[in-house]
Amino acid sequence: MTAAAATIPGRKRGAGSNADALLGMLLVAPIVLVMAALVFFPLADTFWDSLHRVNPMQPGTPFIGLANYTNMLTDNEANTSWFNTFLYVVIAVSVETVVGIAGAALLNQVKVGRRWLLAAIILPWALPGVVNATIWLWIYQPGAGLLNGILVAFGLPFDNHVWFNDKTSAIIAVVVVHIWRMLPLTIVIVLAAMQSIPGELYEAARIDGANRLSMFGSITLPLVRSAIAIAMTNSTVAAFNFFDEAWVLAGSSLDTRPILVQIYLEAFQNLHFSYGMAMSLVVTLVSLAVSLVYVVRVYRNTRLE
Amino acid sequence: MRKLSFASGIALAVLAFVVPALADDAKPLAGQSITVLLPSPQGATIAADFEKATGIHVDLQTLTWDDIRPKLVTALLAGTAPADVTEFDWSWTGQFAAAGWYLPLQDVIDKDTVADIGVAKIFTVDDNLLGVPYTNDFRVMLVNKKHFADAGITKMPTTLDELVADAKQIKAKGITQYPIGLPLSPTEGASTSWYLLTKAEGGDLFDKDWKPLFLTPDSAGYKAMALELQMLKDGLVDPASTGLKDSQINDTMFAKGLTSIMISGEPGRLGQMNDPKQSSVAGQVEAIVVPTASGTTRSYGLPEALGIPKVSQNREAAIAFVKWFTSKQFQIENYANGVLPTRTSALADLNAAGKLQSGDALVAQSKTVEPLFAQGTPTWYPQFSSAVNTAINGVAKGQLTVDQAMKNIADATQKAMTQ
Repeated sequence: MTAAAATIPGRKRGAGSNADALLGMLLVAPIVLVMAALVFFPLADTFWDSLHRVNPMQPGTPFIGLANYTNMLTDNEANTSWFNTFLYVVIAVSVETVVGIAGAALLNQVKVGRRWLLAAIILPWALPGVVNATIWLWIYQPGAGLLNGILVAFGLPFDNHVWFNDKTSAIIAVVVVHIWRMLPLTIVIVLAAMQSIPGELYEAARIDGANRLSMFGSITLPLVRSAIAIAMTNSTVAAFNFFDEAWVLAGSSLDTRPILVQIYLEAFQNLHFSYGMAMSLVVTLVSLAVSLVYVVRVYRNTRLE
Repeated sequence: MRKLSFASGIALAVLAFVVPALADDAKPLAGQSITVLLPSPQGATIAADFEKATGIHVDLQTLTWDDIRPKLVTALLAGTAPADVTEFDWSWTGQFAAAGWYLPLQDVIDKDTVADIGVAKIFTVDDNLLGVPYTNDFRVMLVNKKHFADAGITKMPTTLDELVADAKQIKAKGITQYPIGLPLSPTEGASTSWYLLTKAEGGDLFDKDWKPLFLTPDSAGYKAMALELQMLKDGLVDPASTGLKDSQINDTMFAKGLTSIMISGEPGRLGQMNDPKQSSVAGQVEAIVVPTASGTTRSYGLPEALGIPKVSQNREAAIAFVKWFTSKQFQIENYANGVLPTRTSALADLNAAGKLQSGDALVAQSKTVEPLFAQGTPTWYPQFSSAVNTAINGVAKGQLTVDQAMKNIADATQKAMTQ
């Protein structure tokens, strides 16, 4: 009896587990299929092609091993583009994170008309990159540009100043436009996390004599850490995929050329498709590797023990 | 009366059956449909006019010139037709010929047409005519004759020294702050201006073995780059030109009277510049033949053609469109849309009728038009052009000397040739 009683529920649990597992697999199957068809297969196919010479101007597609990858190391233009891209990533992610948290904290204090403020703030992110860049192109214009106009109004010698004639100011000018577009998303993500923090925590801290700054450091920041990590992942991927603003503002100028513009030129201008594919895969891998740091942090912070 | 009406009715009934049959004979491809991809803008009635003439329906798609090439390359590499008839720029000839993407047209386009369109040879590779030129883009100089007159200049420049002296005089008189329009951005327009000045300095870019001819300080290419830098240093060229395409200089500076000379002027722009709706300097703009170091003008062609991808499923109708679009009659009509005819006969007729703006200068310059590359456009042209405009941009920003720029171009070209 004891044995039977022990066996039957066990058998039932086993049957139930199998059914649950099957249901789980069925539910996951569509996304697995979609990911396999639209992500993993194209990735594998791109990698395979990158090991061949795919150039429509030359006959055949012979296997060339890792030549496309090793060529990258000695490609001066690609190296300059990589350097620019890393600069964009470091500047954009740092500024978006710090200013994004500050902006979210400020918005979190606003009690009246917050949704209208949010709607206004989100506007640059909602606009296409090309539109943002075109607006900023007018702002940066040497003659009638708004920026020079404001600086001249303050008595500064910026009449007809050309911002893109100097590498440092050109990089800053381009990355500012990217930050302008991506910052709202960081604000929204972090703000959503801040709004989910129970008010009782702040109430208790106040009773214990905590001031605003210590509450921000001891309660707010730790509890929005996951959201910050998600926002940073998003900022990192967006900075690695930087194209529109740099292209509209400075074209193919080496001073500001990000790696995606270099890939575009190799693939569509020079018709070196497999070289472009190799570079694309490296960008994907580097972007994933950097993002993985944040993702692992998110996992550690959010997993259930 | 009733009899007449009856007879008329019978006659009409007969005609109703006969005329469509005759029309079908005259329009053997009527009812077919093709797609055509051209740079914007194009004449508004092209599709309707062609359908009226041939019965073939045209889905005319237009994109900005810069956006066409990626669309073509992506589709053609995938083995699909981006359109049945597409834009085919002179600078793509080497690459597209090597890729074998376009249908040779020498057997379907009559020899008289090819003879009438001199620049057709730019699109001919190994005796295969890959595109039929429809717009005759070569380089002249566009000048604002009012600015010249206001500066007290009565004779247009024929040498580069005179050109610079005139520009200095215009600047000194305060007529324009930057009299010379010259793109210095990393774009194709900066390259094409340097090519023109290299020709104007009396030289060429490469010898017959593709060895660069611009490396020594006494070479034409070197002198052309040095001249560009000097004009910038002398304040004749706007420093903001490092970020401006040629089209932007045309639209935002020359057409607004902010500059007096377009170094690398497009004949097709004359209509736009002298149209009060599009230009603040309408009636003031004329073309002059390119001033050179020696005083004997030179120029080169950058024509655009119509090509038919080999994978097009509607070849016959596509060929019919190419023939119609490049016919003498249509070229004369299409001049109203700012498209300069490629047919010598059409140019001559327009000039004789007094319809060609700056006609004498254009006809005189068209006789001097050379291909940029005597051996044909090389497959590595895009890398070469990119190296050229990147170097020009670097020189203009003070990041490179002329010497370094020339070496960079030669190195990049050498690398591209070996790939």
